[in-house]
Amino acid sequence: MIDQIKTKAKELLKTKKVDIVIGYKKASDRIGAIPAFIDKEGDIDKLIWDGYCVYNLSNYLKDFPGKKIGIVTKGCDAKSMTVLLQENQLKREDIFIIGIECSGIVDEKRKGGDIAYDERCKGCKPATPPIYDVLIKEEEKKQAPRLEQDPYESVRKLETKSIEEKFKFWQDEFSRCIRCYACRQICPLCYCPRCVAEQTQPAWFSKAVSVEGNFSWNVNRAMHLAGRCIDCGECERACPVGIPLRDINKKIEKDVKELFSYEAGVDTEQKPLFSSFDKNDPEDFIK
Amino acid sequence: MSEWEPKIVGFLCNWCSYAGADLAGTSRLEYPPNIRIIRLPCSGRVNPLFILKCLSNGADGVLISGCHIGDCHYSEGNFYARRRFAVLKKLLEYLGIDPRRFQMSWVSASEGDKWARLVTELVEEIKQAGPNKDFVRKND
Repeated sequence: MIDQIKTKAKELLKTKKVDIVIGYKKASDRIGAIPAFIDKEGDIDKLIWDGYCVYNLSNYLKDFPGKKIGIVTKGCDAKSMTVLLQENQLKREDIFIIGIECSGIVDEKRKGGDIAYDERCKGCKPATPPIYDVLIKEEEKKQAPRLEQDPYESVRKLETKSIEEKFKFWQDEFSRCIRCYACRQICPLCYCPRCVAEQTQPAWFSKAVSVEGNFSWNVNRAMHLAGRCIDCGECERACPVGIPLRDINKKIEKDVKELFSYEAGVDTEQKPLFSSFDKNDPEDFIK
Repeated sequence: MSEWEPKIVGFLCNWCSYAGADLAGTSRLEYPPNIRIIRLPCSGRVNPLFILKCLSNGADGVLISGCHIGDCHYSEGNFYARRRFAVLKKLLEYLGIDPRRFQMSWVSASEGDKWARLVTELVEEIKQAGPNKDFVRKND
């Protein structure tokens, strides 16, 4: 399988179809994987593929303006590219997608131990990228057993709590937030050159680590990803204090599916959620 | 404080709800003075940040009011608003912020009586919800 990736990468660089190939290489701890940016044929052997290739590489696409890029892509990562294409942040002809039919990645927190599939992989149904130029399949025997699990289980559990309990829960979680904005930096869809969190005139919310500042930041981050988040789970993985950010993203994903039957990242031709409307959108909350 | 009175911020569209509130005034309808009105061109102009900012700066409730669906001066502004705030409303509730604190309504320019009734009810609801203490910014 890795040979197929290497052969394709070599071919792309040789024929000058792309200027750079983004893939994964071994990290210095010899277990994990880090992004690899390969522009010379000689470096191709550095490329790897295993369950530790957790990063969503589409975050790096915007770092090479004007260049043609070949990119190794898991199913979930390709969805974020779909959203970027939908929003005209990328040109389809500038990227060559080496799609990987992924069989699930490991839970990075349990590095070195038993292979444990990441939470987000358990609810993932089609691991095939929605868009790709070439598709590489993982061998049959390595396919992880996918659990038939309700992807919104933890969301539903929280929803049943009372308002006070919910506030208490999120207040505890957010109280750890140090406003490092790692969730924003890692997100492939947070691409504003100037984030509202850094605006000072007007200062929309407090930059201090406070209940209301942390709430505002997290609500705002989630709202900006409404109908866009494809649940690659990078924010939660990057969060140094372990706030369950995916539970917020999934809540919006669920609502958007229920209210507008909209799903993010499946169709590049689809209009973004908040740039479109339907005459029959629900309005039972409006007086 | 002997009796606490809620502070409510209202974001009203210029073409319908603002005129509706104006009509309530010129018709000499009485309604509680707890609402502070901010006039906007359209309910589609309202950014979710406005609501967060209001709540964190001490508002006990926020109301967005615009034209009825189909009546928007800009044809479709309220359609976009409706989508956006359906999501925000559910999100705020999920995060434990009392859903009574954030409300939305359609009030046309001829519905002065609806406006007066709406605000009366809203103030009553927010009074039940009590002062917004959790979310408010503390100067320490």
